[in-house]
Amino acid sequence: MPRIFWVTCPRCLKRFYCHYDDLRHTKWELRCPYCEHQFPQETSPRIEE
Amino acid sequence: MAQAASPTTTIGPAPDSFAAFSLRSFIHRLEREHPEQVVHVTEPVNPARFDVTAVLKHLELRRKYPLVVFDRPLDLHGRPCPLPIATNLYATRERCAMALGLRPQDAMLGLSLEYARREEQRIAPEVVDGAEAPVKEVVRTGDQVDLRELPIVRHHDMDAGPYIDMTSVMRDPDSGAYNAAFLRNMYKGPRKLGLHMSPRHNWQIVRKHELKDEPTPVAIVVSHHPAFYIGSLNVAPFGVDDYALIGSMFERPLRLTFSTTWGEKFLIPADADLVLEGHVLPNVREVEGPFGEFPGTYGPQRVRWVVELTALNRRSDAIYQDVFVGHPDNWMMGSFPKEGSIYNRIKGVVPTVKGVHLPISAVGRFHCYISIDKRVDGESKQAALIALGACDFVKHVVVVDGDIDPFREEEVLWAIATRVQADEDVDILKNVKGSTLDPSQRDDIMGAKMIIDATRPVRRPFEARIEVPAEAMGRIELERLIPPEQLRRI
Repeated sequence: MPRIFWVTCPRCLKRFYCHYDDLRHTKWELRCPYCEHQFPQETSPRIEE
Repeated sequence: MAQAASPTTTIGPAPDSFAAFSLRSFIHRLEREHPEQVVHVTEPVNPARFDVTAVLKHLELRRKYPLVVFDRPLDLHGRPCPLPIATNLYATRERCAMALGLRPQDAMLGLSLEYARREEQRIAPEVVDGAEAPVKEVVRTGDQVDLRELPIVRHHDMDAGPYIDMTSVMRDPDSGAYNAAFLRNMYKGPRKLGLHMSPRHNWQIVRKHELKDEPTPVAIVVSHHPAFYIGSLNVAPFGVDDYALIGSMFERPLRLTFSTTWGEKFLIPADADLVLEGHVLPNVREVEGPFGEFPGTYGPQRVRWVVELTALNRRSDAIYQDVFVGHPDNWMMGSFPKEGSIYNRIKGVVPTVKGVHLPISAVGRFHCYISIDKRVDGESKQAALIALGACDFVKHVVVVDGDIDPFREEEVLWAIATRVQADEDVDILKNVKGSTLDPSQRDDIMGAKMIIDATRPVRRPFEARIEVPAEAMGRIELERLIPPEQLRRI
């Protein structure tokens, strides 16, 4: 499995994970699959690598 | 309320003359000949709120795997949708066998070998006029295309949204060959989808277009006779025309017609229920996913391609099809299409091979059971190494003797329990190309493989397996000694 990182949505506080090489430390806004909130990863209250 | 198919809850007869090659005809035949295989849900359901997959999961927990027709789904607007949903079609080998015109009792090795035989054949498709193509009964273009009018299913909790998970067709710009593959398409808007591809054939086609900054035409075949999708599971090399190969699954030419968007430059299946047309936008990327994938875990959110739709083609009484990904409906598709080719490769070296099975307990891909009548010690590892080389998905191989049926998992496990000593009969191979979707694999490409030799040694005496004499088994007829009503009850 490719390397992933877990992200906590700053709006609904649910967790999901992203492809590390595609998205970690990039300008892409992440999209919460639960509440559809789009956000820069820096605004996540918790990132787990 | 789920109920078995009855005269008032059937999918109805297929009205067109090419009845044998439509999804409706297949379901109708099942309802007529095997009513125990079909269930109708007649209450309204909201596919975008997991209603569909919750029904399937409940059935699965009861070890029931019928084809399920949802007669009254809501569309993404939340309104009653005229298209029923058919799903779980591929969840049993028997239904897959019937999709290819085989008998249910031929669903084990027979299905695997027949698939391998047809996979080697090619039947050139036949092009028909749009007036003869049921898929052209309803055509929408431009702003009239609205995915919200479809009952697109949202499958699992962390999925990014509703997904179309059927087959996408693209055309190689160099050879003109069509390539069909299961690809996931994330609903993003009325005419917009996110697209995930692994670096295989369709990925190569898009790459060729992107190098010229050109959009890639794509046709998403959402609903068709199941043989179409079984044919798209082939492992033929890049450049093979999948429409010709799929024709061999039908054992007659696949009927095609001009697409709405590109005319004769891109042909679509004439007898499909629903085909979407669009373009993969060149060098455009957006976030897509997560999405629950075949291993039973989620593929992560990624930066992926975008599809802009241009047309929708469907039958006037179209049925919407969906695969329950990460469950037997999906796992079955990984198994029998590969079993036959693995068997044939082994047979060239170990002619006494009796059967090959990729069990759905390992998602139809990661485990391989091989049964051989071993003549010399060492043949078991030969067979195992061939299987590992034939398919990079295969991770753990168990080789058993000919008295073990590889399609009966409890027998394979019994052989492991009684014929294996771990210090002598288990081999580990490191740094072998594996599957990127294997959640246990730590490297992006490579993983470990294992061979379990669960065969009896040839060179020294081994205890005999107990058995009830064949004479008694043939003489005793169960139905004569136990009344049918009691047999049905147990």
